[in-house]
Amino acid sequence: MLPRRRGVEEIPQPLTHLKCLECGTVNSRPFTGGDYVFKEVEERCPKCGASKMKIIGIYVEEERKTP
Amino acid sequence: MLDFLQVSGQQDLISVISSLIWLLFLMIFFIYPSFSQRLQLSYILRDLERRLQRLKVMRDEVRGKTVEVLRKYSGDGVKVDEELDKLLLSFMIAPESMDPYGIVYKLEHIVNTWEDVFEEHVKLICTKADEAWSKTLTNLVEVARGMDYLYRVVRHYYLLGRRTANIYIVLQIQMLMPQIMEIAEAYRRACYAFTQGQPIGDGVGVLAVAKLVEGLEKKTYQVAKDTIVHEFEMDGRRVFVLRAAGPGGAVGRPADGLLKILESERDKVKAVIMIDAALKLEGEETGKVVEGIGAAIGGIGVDKFKIEEISKKMNIPLYAFAIYQSIGEAITPMKKSIAKAADEVVEKVKKLISSKVDEGFSVIVAGIGNTVGIGIS
Repeated sequence: MLPRRRGVEEIPQPLTHLKCLECGTVNSRPFTGGDYVFKEVEERCPKCGASKMKIIGIYVEEERKTP
Repeated sequence: MLDFLQVSGQQDLISVISSLIWLLFLMIFFIYPSFSQRLQLSYILRDLERRLQRLKVMRDEVRGKTVEVLRKYSGDGVKVDEELDKLLLSFMIAPESMDPYGIVYKLEHIVNTWEDVFEEHVKLICTKADEAWSKTLTNLVEVARGMDYLYRVVRHYYLLGRRTANIYIVLQIQMLMPQIMEIAEAYRRACYAFTQGQPIGDGVGVLAVAKLVEGLEKKTYQVAKDTIVHEFEMDGRRVFVLRAAGPGGAVGRPADGLLKILESERDKVKAVIMIDAALKLEGEETGKVVEGIGAAIGGIGVDKFKIEEISKKMNIPLYAFAIYQSIGEAITPMKKSIAKAADEVVEKVKKLISSKVDEGFSVIVAGIGNTVGIGIS
Protein backbone atom coordinates (compact mmCIF):
# COMPACT_ATOMS: atom_id res chain seq x y z
CA MET A 1 0.00 0.00 0.00
CA LEU A 2 1.29 3.48 -0.80
CA PRO A 3 1.95 5.79 2.15
CA ARG A 4 -0.92 8.10 2.91
CA ARG A 5 -0.32 11.75 2.06
CA ARG A 6 -0.48 13.73 5.27
CA GLY A 7 -2.19 17.05 5.66
CA VAL A 8 -1.83 19.45 8.58
CA GLU A 9 -2.15 17.25 11.64
CA GLU A 10 -4.17 18.03 14.73
CA ILE A 11 -2.03 18.74 17.77
CA PRO A 12 -2.97 16.34 20.57
CA GLN A 13 -3.57 18.00 23.92
CA PRO A 14 -2.03 16.41 27.01
CA LEU A 15 -3.93 15.38 30.11
CA THR A 16 -2.97 16.57 33.57
CA HIS A 17 -2.94 13.76 36.15
CA LEU A 18 -3.57 14.81 39.73
CA LYS A 19 -3.22 12.94 43.02
CA CYS A 20 -5.23 13.85 46.07
CA LEU A 21 -2.94 14.70 49.00
CA GLU A 22 -5.51 13.32 51.45
CA CYS A 23 -6.74 10.01 50.01
CA GLY A 24 -4.27 9.39 47.18
CA THR A 25 -6.92 9.15 44.48
CA VAL A 26 -5.57 9.83 41.00
CA ASN A 27 -7.73 11.55 38.42
CA SER A 28 -7.11 13.46 35.22
CA ARG A 29 -8.41 16.46 33.34
CA PRO A 30 -7.35 18.35 30.17
CA PHE A 31 -4.19 20.42 30.56
CA THR A 32 -4.70 24.07 31.45
CA GLY A 33 -2.19 26.92 31.27
CA GLY A 34 -0.01 27.17 34.37
CA ASP A 35 0.00 23.42 35.10
CA TYR A 36 3.35 21.78 35.70
CA VAL A 37 4.47 18.48 37.18
CA PHE A 38 4.80 18.49 41.01
CA LYS A 39 2.68 21.64 41.35
CA GLU A 40 0.24 21.64 44.23
CA VAL A 41 -3.15 22.95 43.16
CA GLU A 42 -6.31 23.88 44.98
CA GLU A 43 -8.78 21.53 43.32
CA ARG A 44 -11.46 19.37 44.82
CA CYS A 45 -10.83 15.61 44.95
CA PRO A 46 -13.72 13.80 43.23
CA LYS A 47 -13.59 11.02 45.84
CA CYS A 48 -12.99 12.54 49.29
CA GLY A 49 -13.67 16.20 48.52
CA ALA A 50 -10.31 17.45 49.87
CA SER A 51 -9.13 20.66 48.23
CA LYS A 52 -5.39 20.01 47.80
CA MET A 53 -4.06 17.98 44.92
CA LYS A 54 -0.65 17.50 43.35
CA ILE A 55 0.06 17.21 39.64
CA ILE A 56 1.92 13.93 39.18
CA GLY A 57 2.08 13.83 35.41
CA ILE A 58 1.31 15.72 32.21
CA TYR A 59 1.35 13.62 29.08
CA VAL A 60 -0.41 12.80 25.85
CA GLU A 61 -2.35 9.54 25.71
CA GLU A 62 -1.10 7.57 22.75
CA GLU A 63 -3.40 6.28 20.06
CA ARG A 64 -3.85 2.52 20.22
CA LYS A 65 -2.40 0.80 17.21
CA THR A 66 -4.73 -1.58 15.42
CA PRO A 67 -3.21 -5.06 15.19
CA MET B 1 8.23 16.79 -59.88
CA LEU B 2 8.49 14.26 -57.01
CA ASP B 3 5.27 12.51 -56.23
CA PHE B 4 4.32 12.86 -52.55
CA LEU B 5 3.49 9.17 -52.31
CA GLN B 6 6.89 8.13 -53.62
CA VAL B 7 8.68 8.86 -50.29
CA SER B 8 11.14 6.06 -49.53
CA GLY B 9 10.11 4.41 -52.70
CA GLN B 10 6.68 3.56 -51.32
CA GLN B 11 3.48 4.07 -53.14
CA ASP B 12 0.69 3.93 -50.50
CA LEU B 13 -0.23 6.41 -47.76
CA ILE B 14 0.15 3.96 -44.84
CA SER B 15 3.74 3.23 -45.74
CA VAL B 16 4.48 6.96 -45.84
CA ILE B 17 2.90 7.48 -42.42
CA SER B 18 4.86 4.61 -40.90
CA SER B 19 8.08 6.02 -42.38
CA LEU B 20 7.30 9.40 -40.82
CA ILE B 21 6.57 7.79 -37.42
CA TRP B 22 9.92 6.04 -37.56
CA LEU B 23 11.59 9.32 -38.40
CA LEU B 24 9.85 10.92 -35.38
CA PHE B 25 11.03 8.13 -33.04
CA LEU B 26 14.54 8.50 -34.39
CA MET B 27 14.45 12.24 -33.69
CA ILE B 28 13.12 11.65 -30.13
CA PHE B 29 15.93 9.14 -29.57
CA PHE B 30 18.55 11.80 -30.40
CA ILE B 31 16.82 14.78 -28.78
CA TYR B 32 15.58 13.08 -25.58
CA PRO B 33 18.93 12.81 -23.70
CA SER B 34 19.31 16.58 -23.63
CA PHE B 35 15.60 17.19 -23.11
CA SER B 36 14.91 14.61 -20.38
CA GLN B 37 16.91 16.38 -17.70
CA ARG B 38 14.95 19.58 -18.23
CA LEU B 39 11.74 17.62 -17.97
CA GLN B 40 12.88 15.94 -14.77
CA LEU B 41 14.09 19.27 -13.38
CA SER B 42 10.71 20.85 -13.95
CA TYR B 43 8.99 17.94 -12.17
CA ILE B 44 11.33 18.18 -9.16
CA LEU B 45 10.99 21.96 -9.01
CA ARG B 46 7.22 21.66 -9.04
CA ASP B 47 7.37 19.12 -6.19
CA LEU B 48 9.77 21.32 -4.22
CA GLU B 49 7.59 24.37 -4.78
CA ARG B 50 4.59 22.55 -3.34
CA ARG B 51 6.51 21.47 -0.24
CA LEU B 52 8.14 24.87 0.16
CA GLN B 53 4.68 26.41 0.14
CA ARG B 54 3.63 24.05 2.94
CA LEU B 55 6.81 24.88 4.83
CA LYS B 56 5.99 28.57 4.48
CA VAL B 57 2.51 28.03 5.90
CA MET B 58 4.04 26.22 8.88
CA ARG B 59 6.72 28.89 9.33
CA ASP B 60 4.06 31.62 9.30
CA GLU B 61 1.92 29.69 11.78
CA VAL B 62 4.83 29.28 14.22
CA ARG B 63 5.88 32.90 13.78
CA GLY B 64 2.32 34.14 14.26
CA LYS B 65 1.86 32.07 17.40
CA THR B 66 5.19 33.31 18.78
CA VAL B 67 4.32 36.94 18.11
CA GLU B 68 0.92 36.45 19.75
CA VAL B 69 2.45 35.01 22.94
CA LEU B 70 5.31 37.52 23.11
CA ARG B 71 2.82 40.36 22.68
CA LYS B 72 0.85 39.05 25.65
CA TYR B 73 3.89 39.48 27.89
CA SER B 74 5.52 42.49 26.24
CA GLY B 75 5.80 45.92 27.71
CA ASP B 76 4.15 49.04 26.26
CA GLY B 77 5.75 50.47 23.14
CA VAL B 78 7.71 47.33 22.27
CA LYS B 79 7.60 46.51 18.57
CA VAL B 80 7.33 42.75 18.97
CA ASP B 81 7.47 41.99 15.22
CA GLU B 82 10.68 43.92 14.70
CA GLU B 83 12.33 42.51 17.80
CA LEU B 84 11.35 38.96 16.88
CA ASP B 85 12.83 39.39 13.40
CA LYS B 86 16.12 40.47 14.98
CA LEU B 87 16.13 37.31 17.09
CA LEU B 88 15.16 35.07 14.19
CA LEU B 89 18.09 36.32 12.13
CA SER B 90 20.62 36.37 14.97
CA PHE B 91 23.59 34.05 14.58
CA MET B 92 26.60 32.60 16.32
CA ILE B 93 30.01 32.25 14.68
CA ALA B 94 31.75 29.01 15.62
CA PRO B 95 35.41 29.39 16.64
CA GLU B 96 38.22 28.77 14.17
CA SER B 97 39.22 25.10 14.13
CA MET B 98 42.45 25.33 12.11
CA ASP B 99 44.30 25.02 15.41
CA PRO B 100 41.91 22.89 17.49
CA TYR B 101 43.77 23.36 20.79
CA GLY B 102 41.37 24.77 23.38
CA ILE B 103 38.48 24.92 20.92
CA VAL B 104 35.96 23.43 23.40
CA TYR B 105 36.41 26.27 25.86
CA LYS B 106 36.29 28.87 23.08
CA LEU B 107 33.06 27.27 21.83
CA GLU B 108 31.67 27.21 25.35
CA HIS B 109 32.41 30.91 25.78
CA ILE B 110 30.75 31.84 22.49
CA VAL B 111 27.69 29.63 23.06
CA ASN B 112 27.19 30.83 26.64
CA THR B 113 27.47 34.46 25.55
CA TRP B 114 25.02 33.90 22.70
CA GLU B 115 22.53 32.13 24.97
CA ASP B 116 22.77 34.86 27.59
CA VAL B 117 22.30 37.62 25.00
CA PHE B 118 19.36 35.75 23.44
CA GLU B 119 17.70 35.31 26.83
CA GLU B 120 18.32 38.94 27.79
CA HIS B 121 16.74 40.08 24.53
CA VAL B 122 13.62 37.98 25.17
CA LYS B 123 13.42 39.38 28.72
CA LEU B 124 13.63 42.92 27.31
CA ILE B 125 10.68 42.19 25.02
CA CYS B 126 8.62 40.32 27.62
CA THR B 127 8.93 42.50 30.67
CA LYS B 128 5.67 41.14 32.10
CA ALA B 129 6.90 37.53 32.17
CA ASP B 130 8.39 36.08 35.35
CA GLU B 131 11.77 34.31 35.42
CA ALA B 132 10.41 30.83 34.62
CA TRP B 133 8.15 32.06 31.83
CA SER B 134 10.86 34.15 30.20
CA LYS B 135 12.96 30.97 29.92
CA THR B 136 10.09 29.10 28.30
CA LEU B 137 9.53 32.05 25.96
CA THR B 138 13.23 31.95 25.04
CA ASN B 139 12.73 28.29 24.06
CA LEU B 140 9.70 29.32 22.03
CA VAL B 141 11.72 31.92 20.11
CA GLU B 142 14.42 29.29 19.51
CA VAL B 143 11.77 27.00 18.00
CA ALA B 144 10.54 29.85 15.77
CA ARG B 145 14.15 30.55 14.78
CA GLY B 146 14.73 26.89 13.89
CA MET B 147 11.59 26.80 11.79
CA ASP B 148 12.46 30.05 10.04
CA TYR B 149 15.99 28.82 9.26
CA LEU B 150 14.66 25.54 7.86
CA TYR B 151 12.35 27.43 5.52
CA ARG B 152 15.10 29.80 4.39
CA VAL B 153 17.54 26.95 3.64
CA VAL B 154 15.00 25.02 1.55
CA ARG B 155 14.02 28.22 -0.27
CA HIS B 156 17.69 28.92 -0.97
CA TYR B 157 18.27 25.54 -2.65
CA TYR B 158 14.99 25.74 -4.55
CA LEU B 159 15.77 29.18 -5.96
CA LEU B 160 19.42 28.32 -6.64
CA GLY B 161 18.43 25.15 -8.46
CA ARG B 162 15.81 26.98 -10.49
CA ARG B 163 18.13 29.87 -11.41
CA THR B 164 21.02 27.66 -12.46
CA ALA B 165 18.79 24.87 -13.86
CA ASN B 166 21.04 22.48 -11.95
CA ILE B 167 19.25 19.20 -11.38
CA TYR B 168 21.83 17.97 -8.86
CA ILE B 169 21.17 20.84 -6.47
CA VAL B 170 17.41 20.34 -6.45
CA LEU B 171 17.77 16.56 -6.37
CA GLN B 172 19.73 16.71 -3.10
CA ILE B 173 17.21 18.93 -1.34
CA GLN B 174 14.32 16.87 -2.75
CA MET B 175 15.85 13.70 -1.27
CA LEU B 176 16.07 15.38 2.15
CA MET B 177 12.56 16.82 2.03
CA PRO B 178 10.74 13.97 3.84
CA GLN B 179 13.01 14.35 6.89
CA ILE B 180 12.88 18.15 6.68
CA MET B 181 9.08 18.10 6.62
CA GLU B 182 9.08 15.79 9.65
CA ILE B 183 11.35 18.17 11.57
CA ALA B 184 9.18 21.12 10.52
CA GLU B 185 6.07 19.34 11.82
CA ALA B 186 7.91 18.66 15.09
CA TYR B 187 8.79 22.37 15.35
CA ARG B 188 5.15 23.26 14.75
CA ARG B 189 4.02 20.98 17.58
CA ALA B 190 6.87 22.15 19.81
CA CYS B 191 5.69 25.72 19.36
CA TYR B 192 2.30 24.80 20.86
CA ALA B 193 3.99 22.93 23.74
CA PHE B 194 6.18 25.91 24.62
CA THR B 195 3.39 28.48 24.33
CA GLN B 196 1.56 26.58 27.08
CA GLY B 197 4.54 25.34 29.09
CA GLN B 198 3.81 21.63 28.57
CA PRO B 199 6.49 19.01 29.36
CA ILE B 200 8.24 17.66 26.26
CA GLY B 201 9.80 14.26 25.54
CA ASP B 202 13.32 15.59 26.06
CA GLY B 203 12.46 16.35 29.69
CA VAL B 204 12.21 12.67 30.66
CA GLY B 205 15.70 12.64 32.22
CA VAL B 206 14.75 15.52 34.50
CA LEU B 207 11.39 13.91 35.26
CA ALA B 208 13.13 10.68 36.28
CA VAL B 209 15.49 12.37 38.76
CA ALA B 210 12.63 14.51 40.09
CA LYS B 211 10.71 11.29 40.79
CA LEU B 212 13.80 9.78 42.41
CA VAL B 213 13.89 12.52 45.06
CA GLU B 214 10.12 13.03 45.42
CA GLY B 215 8.97 12.99 49.02
CA LEU B 216 12.49 12.55 50.44
CA GLU B 217 14.20 14.67 53.07
CA LYS B 218 16.80 16.59 51.07
CA LYS B 219 18.92 19.71 50.79
CA THR B 220 18.36 21.70 47.57
CA TYR B 221 20.67 24.42 46.28
CA GLN B 222 21.79 26.09 43.06
CA VAL B 223 25.13 24.90 41.76
CA ALA B 224 25.43 26.60 38.34
CA LYS B 225 23.28 28.77 36.07
CA ASP B 226 19.75 27.27 35.96
CA THR B 227 21.15 24.14 37.59
CA ILE B 228 20.22 22.75 40.99
CA VAL B 229 21.31 19.89 43.21
CA HIS B 230 19.24 17.78 45.61
CA GLU B 231 21.45 16.20 48.25
CA PHE B 232 20.17 13.32 50.34
CA GLU B 233 21.10 10.07 52.06
CA MET B 234 20.07 6.70 50.60
CA ASP B 235 20.95 3.48 52.44
CA GLY B 236 24.17 4.96 53.80
CA ARG B 237 25.19 6.53 50.48
CA ARG B 238 25.27 10.25 49.75
CA VAL B 239 23.32 10.99 46.57
CA PHE B 240 23.70 14.24 44.60
CA VAL B 241 20.91 14.67 42.11
CA LEU B 242 21.76 17.21 39.45
CA ARG B 243 19.15 18.76 37.17
CA ALA B 244 18.06 21.99 35.49
CA ALA B 245 15.69 24.13 37.54
CA GLY B 246 12.08 24.10 36.37
CA PRO B 247 9.28 24.61 35.56
CA GLY B 248 10.58 27.11 33.00
CA GLY B 249 12.26 25.74 29.87
CA ALA B 250 15.95 25.34 30.67
CA VAL B 251 18.65 22.71 30.25
CA GLY B 252 21.06 24.24 32.74
CA ARG B 253 24.80 23.66 32.80
CA PRO B 254 25.17 20.07 34.03
CA ALA B 255 28.93 19.87 33.43
CA ASP B 256 29.61 22.94 35.58
CA GLY B 257 27.35 21.53 38.29
CA LEU B 258 29.10 18.18 38.19
CA LEU B 259 32.54 19.83 38.43
CA LYS B 260 31.45 21.80 41.50
CA ILE B 261 30.18 18.67 43.26
CA LEU B 262 33.37 16.80 42.44
CA GLU B 263 35.46 19.71 43.74
CA SER B 264 33.86 19.37 47.16
CA GLU B 265 33.35 15.60 47.31
CA ARG B 266 36.60 14.53 45.56
CA ASP B 267 37.42 10.81 46.06
CA LYS B 268 34.15 10.06 47.78
CA VAL B 269 32.27 9.99 44.45
CA LYS B 270 32.30 6.42 43.14
CA ALA B 271 29.95 6.76 40.18
CA VAL B 272 28.22 9.25 37.91
CA ILE B 273 24.86 8.15 36.52
CA MET B 274 23.39 10.13 33.64
CA ILE B 275 19.81 9.89 32.37
CA ASP B 276 18.80 11.40 29.05
CA ALA B 277 16.44 11.01 26.11
CA ALA B 278 18.07 9.31 23.13
CA LEU B 279 17.14 9.15 19.48
CA LYS B 280 15.64 5.80 18.56
CA LEU B 281 16.07 4.08 15.25
CA GLU B 282 13.03 3.73 13.01
CA GLY B 283 10.99 0.74 14.16
CA GLU B 284 12.17 0.89 17.77
CA GLU B 285 9.77 1.31 20.64
CA THR B 286 9.20 4.78 22.08
CA GLY B 287 9.90 4.96 25.82
CA LYS B 288 12.20 1.94 25.89
CA VAL B 289 14.86 2.24 28.61
CA VAL B 290 18.34 1.08 27.70
CA GLU B 291 21.54 1.08 29.75
CA GLY B 292 25.07 1.84 28.70
CA ILE B 293 28.36 3.43 29.60
CA GLY B 294 29.45 7.01 28.88
CA ALA B 295 28.26 10.59 29.15
CA ALA B 296 24.59 10.61 28.18
CA ILE B 297 24.24 14.20 27.09
CA GLY B 298 23.54 15.87 23.77
CA GLY B 299 24.03 19.44 22.66
CA ILE B 300 27.09 20.89 20.98
CA GLY B 301 29.48 18.66 22.93
CA VAL B 302 30.96 21.08 25.49
CA ASP B 303 29.25 19.49 28.50
CA LYS B 304 30.02 15.99 27.21
CA PHE B 305 33.70 16.87 26.81
CA LYS B 306 33.99 18.38 30.28
CA ILE B 307 32.23 15.46 31.98
CA GLU B 308 34.38 12.90 30.14
CA GLU B 309 37.54 14.83 30.95
CA ILE B 310 36.90 15.06 34.70
CA SER B 311 35.63 11.49 35.01
CA LYS B 312 38.77 10.20 33.28
CA LYS B 313 41.01 12.38 35.43
CA MET B 314 39.37 11.18 38.65
CA ASN B 315 38.78 7.65 37.38
CA ILE B 316 35.04 7.73 38.04
CA PRO B 317 32.87 5.38 35.96
CA LEU B 318 30.10 6.94 33.89
CA TYR B 319 26.85 4.97 33.72
CA ALA B 320 24.10 5.97 31.33
CA PHE B 321 20.37 5.40 30.96
CA ALA B 322 18.74 6.38 27.69
CA ILE B 323 15.04 6.63 26.96
CA TYR B 324 14.28 6.06 23.29
CA GLN B 325 12.22 8.54 21.30
CA SER B 326 12.17 10.11 17.86
CA ILE B 327 13.37 13.64 17.12
CA GLY B 328 9.74 14.73 16.85
CA GLU B 329 8.77 13.13 20.15
CA ALA B 330 11.72 14.82 21.88
CA ILE B 331 10.43 18.34 21.26
CA THR B 332 6.67 17.78 21.33
CA PRO B 333 4.38 17.20 24.35
CA MET B 334 5.51 14.17 26.34
CA LYS B 335 3.85 10.86 25.45
CA LYS B 336 2.53 8.44 28.06
CA SER B 337 5.11 5.75 27.21
CA ILE B 338 7.93 8.26 27.77
CA ALA B 339 6.45 9.52 31.05
CA LYS B 340 6.06 5.94 32.29
CA ALA B 341 9.68 5.20 31.37
CA ALA B 342 10.74 7.70 34.06
CA ASP B 343 9.34 5.37 36.77
CA GLU B 344 11.25 2.44 35.29
CA VAL B 345 14.49 4.45 35.27
CA VAL B 346 14.05 5.39 38.94
CA GLU B 347 13.99 1.71 39.94
CA LYS B 348 16.99 0.90 37.76
CA VAL B 349 18.99 3.82 39.17
CA LYS B 350 18.27 2.69 42.74
CA LYS B 351 19.48 -0.83 41.92
CA LEU B 352 22.61 0.50 40.21
CA ILE B 353 23.48 2.70 43.17
CA SER B 354 23.18 -0.15 45.65
CA SER B 355 25.25 -2.47 43.46
CA LYS B 356 28.03 -0.10 42.35
CA VAL B 357 28.45 2.33 45.26
CA ASP B 358 29.50 1.10 48.67
CA GLU B 359 28.04 2.52 51.84
CA GLY B 360 29.81 5.65 53.05
CA PHE B 361 30.56 6.85 49.52
CA SER B 362 28.80 9.29 47.16
CA VAL B 363 27.15 9.11 43.77
CA ILE B 364 26.04 11.80 41.32
CA VAL B 365 22.82 11.25 39.38
CA ALA B 366 22.33 13.74 36.55
CA GLY B 367 18.95 14.15 34.85
CA ILE B 368 19.58 15.74 31.47
CA GLY B 369 16.99 17.55 29.39
CA ASN B 370 14.63 20.48 29.09
CA THR B 371 12.64 21.22 32.24
CA VAL B 372 9.68 22.94 30.61
CA GLY B 373 6.56 21.97 32.57
CA ILE B 374 8.49 20.02 35.21
CA GLY B 375 8.69 21.65 38.62
CA ILE B 376 10.90 20.90 41.60
CA SER B 377 9.69 17.90 43.59
